Amino acid sequence: MKSSLRFGAVAAAGALLLTSCGGDSPDNGDNGAEAAEGLDICYVTAAESHAYVSPANAAFQDAADELEVDVTLLSQEFEAQTGTDQLRTCIGRNPDGIVLWPLDPQAYIPGLVEAQDAGIPLVLINSPMDEEAEGLYTSFTGPDTYEQGQLAGDVLDEELGSEGNVVIIAGQAGNGTTIGRTDGFNDKLEELGSDIEVVQTVNADFDQQRALELSRDVLSQHGDDLQGVYANDDTMARGFIDAWTESGRDLEDMPAIVGINGQQDAFESIEEGYYTATIVQSPEEDGRLALETIVGAATGEEVDSRIPIPLTVVTEENVADEEPAF
Amino acid sequence: MKSLRKVFEVPAVLTLIHYRVVLILVATVLLSVSFVPGLTEFRTLSLSLDRAATLGLVAVGLTVVLLLGKLDLSVGSILALSGIAAIALQPQLGQFGAAAAGVLVGLLAGILNGFLVVVLQINSLVATLASMIFLRALCHFLTDSNPISGNDPLFGLAVSRALGGSFSLRTFIFLLAIILLFLWLTYTVSGRHTYAVGSNEDAATASGIRSGAYVFGAFVFSGLMSGIAGVMQSLATNTGSPVFGSTIALTAIAAVVIGGTRLEGGRGSALGTLGGVLVLAAITTTLEYESVASYYQNIVTGTILLILILLDRIASDSPRSALSLSSLLPTRAQKRSPAP
Repeated sequence: MKSSLRFGAVAAAGALLLTSCGGDSPDNGDNGAEAAEGLDICYVTAAESHAYVSPANAAFQDAADELEVDVTLLSQEFEAQTGTDQLRTCIGRNPDGIVLWPLDPQAYIPGLVEAQDAGIPLVLINSPMDEEAEGLYTSFTGPDTYEQGQLAGDVLDEELGSEGNVVIIAGQAGNGTTIGRTDGFNDKLEELGSDIEVVQTVNADFDQQRALELSRDVLSQHGDDLQGVYANDDTMARGFIDAWTESGRDLEDMPAIVGINGQQDAFESIEEGYYTATIVQSPEEDGRLALETIVGAATGEEVDSRIPIPLTVVTEENVADEEPAF
Repeated sequence: MKSLRKVFEVPAVLTLIHYRVVLILVATVLLSVSFVPGLTEFRTLSLSLDRAATLGLVAVGLTVVLLLGKLDLSVGSILALSGIAAIALQPQLGQFGAAAAGVLVGLLAGILNGFLVVVLQINSLVATLASMIFLRALCHFLTDSNPISGNDPLFGLAVSRALGGSFSLRTFIFLLAIILLFLWLTYTVSGRHTYAVGSNEDAATASGIRSGAYVFGAFVFSGLMSGIAGVMQSLATNTGSPVFGSTIALTAIAAVVIGGTRLEGGRGSALGTLGGVLVLAAITTTLEYESVASYYQNIVTGTILLILILLDRIASDSPRSALSLSSLLPTRAQKRSPAP
């Protein structure tokens, strides 16, 4: 699916470039192959060093090098306030396209309006924004976090036979990814008419240490009557596992645990048999897709307003066949 | 070392050190322009200044606090709290009313700091550290740790958009604040008293200046400035976030110190602070245009800070520019203040 999608995008871009005689690029020659070349893309990324973001940035840059597109990379260092300023700096440079990694569902909206006024195509990468932002950007590429939550709900419901007590270890409160992954999970359980009860939801900010601390409290409160854990990402699931072993409990008695991201250590834990499932979302795919989409948009191609990256649920059954995301 | 000392006593060198902020600014801008094509465009300048305005307003408030030899670490928390008020109260008070309420919140926070430092006689570092932590927690409490958004995303565009192809509203407010601060510190009696209190609080009190009132006023002023900065930041992004401004206090202190204001108090100026803010803005803009990783920016900022402080010490150690009481006299003060 992913390769066909990419091929489709490239083919469409190629076809369009061969027939069109004018794109947004100033040095647009008659030769279609050159159109993407020399495009100036401004990329406001979430951070420079992070387990997920770094490989996504690297893939973004690689894809840009392949197409000979120039990228200016600005890093928000996980501060939305910095990012809103950087977005406006980007607009001031009048690039051929902007890619933004939103860290807040709202704060960038005024900037999006300005980009639109300036006629600069803009692609959101990875994280969603609020409904009010719809129509203010060209496209949103990235995982469907709601879908991830739904998949996680499905797999945990099946594992537990639709009953039991479950704890949710969520990311930052208010973060778009947290909201999608948590709502998708809860809605799925309701949709299935499951008797699973979510006894507690904690916000561990996608941080292993924080998840460890909160899991200690969770365990002292519900430890003996806990059948399942759903963590918004594998890193926080790891925090729970640490708290579990630290309290002198056996890995074999672990509650069913489902995470997201498809990290290497989650794969290993699944192989060892104490981790129920993870959902693979590839950062490389994330970065590359965003670049290809903005290049398409900047060369005047029609792009879909929502382009999800493919998701794979990895359990004991298929763990040997799948590749970890990072 | 001795011969080095001698070099620094040459009047020409001393003059250069005296205007070191201007020198560093000119050097930064020249380097920036030669490295980055397109940096000289007016639009780039306008955008950089707009980005610097939030930091600049906070720095204006901090200049007075530092002049008095005190510190205010709570500016970032005040900025966030004011912004949250300006967004959260929109349904009740309307957009302008809520903005005014946000500024008022800044003012009240400043009064709290003034009370802690002047009335309760708590060391300003400790007092504002406490209010920084407390007010930040209050931000999280009030918003349930979630960013909140206003009812009209386009309302705030007026704050950050260039007016008639020139500068944005908040840039103008920042520049106006710098000019007013400059006029006040240089040409008014109370401005000169501020230097006197900063140099030696006890001596100033003994000569009939109400030192406590000046310190109290400085914290209120700093809170007010952070409040204004926070309200405009939140309007520009249509978001009140409990994490806004979490790193701004130290950056603003850096800008003020680069501008030649001494942490020990008694020396500094409004134009110096303008220079400090512009140096930081130029560094950020240049390095971002070149896609340089942001931690390099901090290396450059830290290096400049160290160089300037060493120069400052050399300048003030040399007998020719030793800070004496006579430098506080009106005539000298007027000559010195514009660019120490």
